[in-house]
Amino acid sequence: MSKKENILNAGTALFAQKGFRDTSTSDIANLTNVADGTIFYHFKTKEALLLAILEKVKIDILNEFKQYTGNKQCDNGIDMVENAIAFYLYLSGKMENQFLLLHRHFPYELAEKNEECREYLEAIYNCLVDIFETAILKGQKDGSIPAEKITRKTALIIFSMVDGVVRFKTYNMYDASALYGELINSCRCILTCKI
Amino acid sequence: MSVITIFNGIYCRENDIIQKIADKTGFSTVTDDVIIQQAGRTSGFSDSKILGAINGKVSIFNKFTHEQERSIAHLRLAVANALLDDNVAIIGYCGHLIPKEISHVLRICLIADTAFRISQAAKTLKIKENEAAGVIHKSDSNAATWTHTIFGNRDPWAASLYDILIPTDKRNDDDIVTLVSENLSNEVLKPTEASLKAAKDFILAARVEVALSQEGHNVSVNARDGAITLTINRNVLMLRRLEEELKSIVEKVDGVASIETRVGKGFYQTDIYRKVDFEAPAKILLVDDEREFVQTLSERLQMRDIGSAVTYDGASALEMLDDDEPDVMILDLKMPGIDGIEVLKKVKATRPGIEVIILTGQGSEKDEALCMKLGAFAYLQKPVEIDLLSDTLNRAYKKVRQNKKDTK
Repeated sequence: MSKKENILNAGTALFAQKGFRDTSTSDIANLTNVADGTIFYHFKTKEALLLAILEKVKIDILNEFKQYTGNKQCDNGIDMVENAIAFYLYLSGKMENQFLLLHRHFPYELAEKNEECREYLEAIYNCLVDIFETAILKGQKDGSIPAEKITRKTALIIFSMVDGVVRFKTYNMYDASALYGELINSCRCILTCKI
Repeated sequence: MSVITIFNGIYCRENDIIQKIADKTGFSTVTDDVIIQQAGRTSGFSDSKILGAINGKVSIFNKFTHEQERSIAHLRLAVANALLDDNVAIIGYCGHLIPKEISHVLRICLIADTAFRISQAAKTLKIKENEAAGVIHKSDSNAATWTHTIFGNRDPWAASLYDILIPTDKRNDDDIVTLVSENLSNEVLKPTEASLKAAKDFILAARVEVALSQEGHNVSVNARDGAITLTINRNVLMLRRLEEELKSIVEKVDGVASIETRVGKGFYQTDIYRKVDFEAPAKILLVDDEREFVQTLSERLQMRDIGSAVTYDGASALEMLDDDEPDVMILDLKMPGIDGIEVLKKVKATRPGIEVIILTGQGSEKDEALCMKLGAFAYLQKPVEIDLLSDTLNRAYKKVRQNKKDTK
């Protein structure tokens, strides 16, 4: 692994666990065994490092999703939603630090004033919500989900539920794995009920 | 074919005057009550809820329910429809909802001195003057909230909001009526092709706004010849998704020729997006044994896109030079071990390219003279204004870059 990748990984872990403000470049330097200057050499500022990390999160998620869609075959849309939920929970475990970082407030604050940061975050969330939206749309086409549901808004609601359960786990609010079965049932109910 | 709008402060003799204007011009009056009822019918909200939206009495749940925005959208639609009738006078708050582009509207404001209004109110309501003042104050503050909601202006009597501002305590009724009818016969107020088009666009924009508010969206809507421009005035991360959703709602509205979305001023917190500034100092080394101070300083500089490394004593600072040379060093004088003066001497002897800014709490004039003689770039006292420090840093870095350029 190159020094730069090392710094990116250490930065991800520290920003995720300690927060952006509480992490100094020296902390990252210590963890990666490089001089502070090396960090400045690769990433001009701590903010630039965060941006590079978000960019990498985006690429990693897109790659994971490509692999997932390549391997999965679903009979109908509602099953596809179920798979999407499972995939999302799997991904949140595999990319734990990245998800922890996404659950922190700082990236969103930065996004309010920094176009680049906003674009990375938008791309990340577009990809994540698309997973659900595509599945719901398929369901509406094959009849497993009623057509009158507003696809986009429903996808966002399902996404916020699933992401909320990930937050439960991240912050140890409850034994989140115990919620899995009911999460799937609830989503099925939401998607199949007629209004 | 023209339209009059009349807005007034309470207890300005407004009822008499409005009646006389209506008699003289033959215009039919449409009051807030009528508009509110109409908005109530289209929105399904109670009249009192809509009145609350006008008076700025917003539910704490408004963030989710957007009842105020929805109410105003329906009020706008009701006003736009009222303009379809010939020779109407829109009386009250709702006249403010008519856009300036509709030029065949004569905008009138009736107002009087507060003392006059208080005496009128006291006489009419048979109450004491201080109570009357309270009544007027309450009504005026509602008016201020309204004009702030609609125009961002807390002065409901601001001349810029009207064509004529009439001091009703200083002019008699006949004068006022003559003034209004003279203005009304002015060429400028004759409907033109453009102003009629603007009135049509007003209705279309209002219908679009109602459709959007019904779906919980609050964006500003502009219509021009059927072309709709939506301005998103809040920060939204999933912008593309939102734009797509807005478009899918608006395209279903009859009469919409095209839709464009854009991002408004409120989208980014700061007006000017801070791009990563490549002119900013890249490598700043802070040397100070007061750990908390220096960490805070480092973070504050970070917020200004100035990256910095930190060491807590002279020896590590000098080690750092071998490891990775900074461009600018901010140096405290009093430190255990090798003190600041020593560090400064060594830096300037071995690496004259580094600019050193002294930042100290206890330094004397003698120290200052010595440091400057030894080649310090600047000598600053704690506590230091962050603006001054970042400005000094930028100047020091400019010098560093200039020197590097010159030696190339």
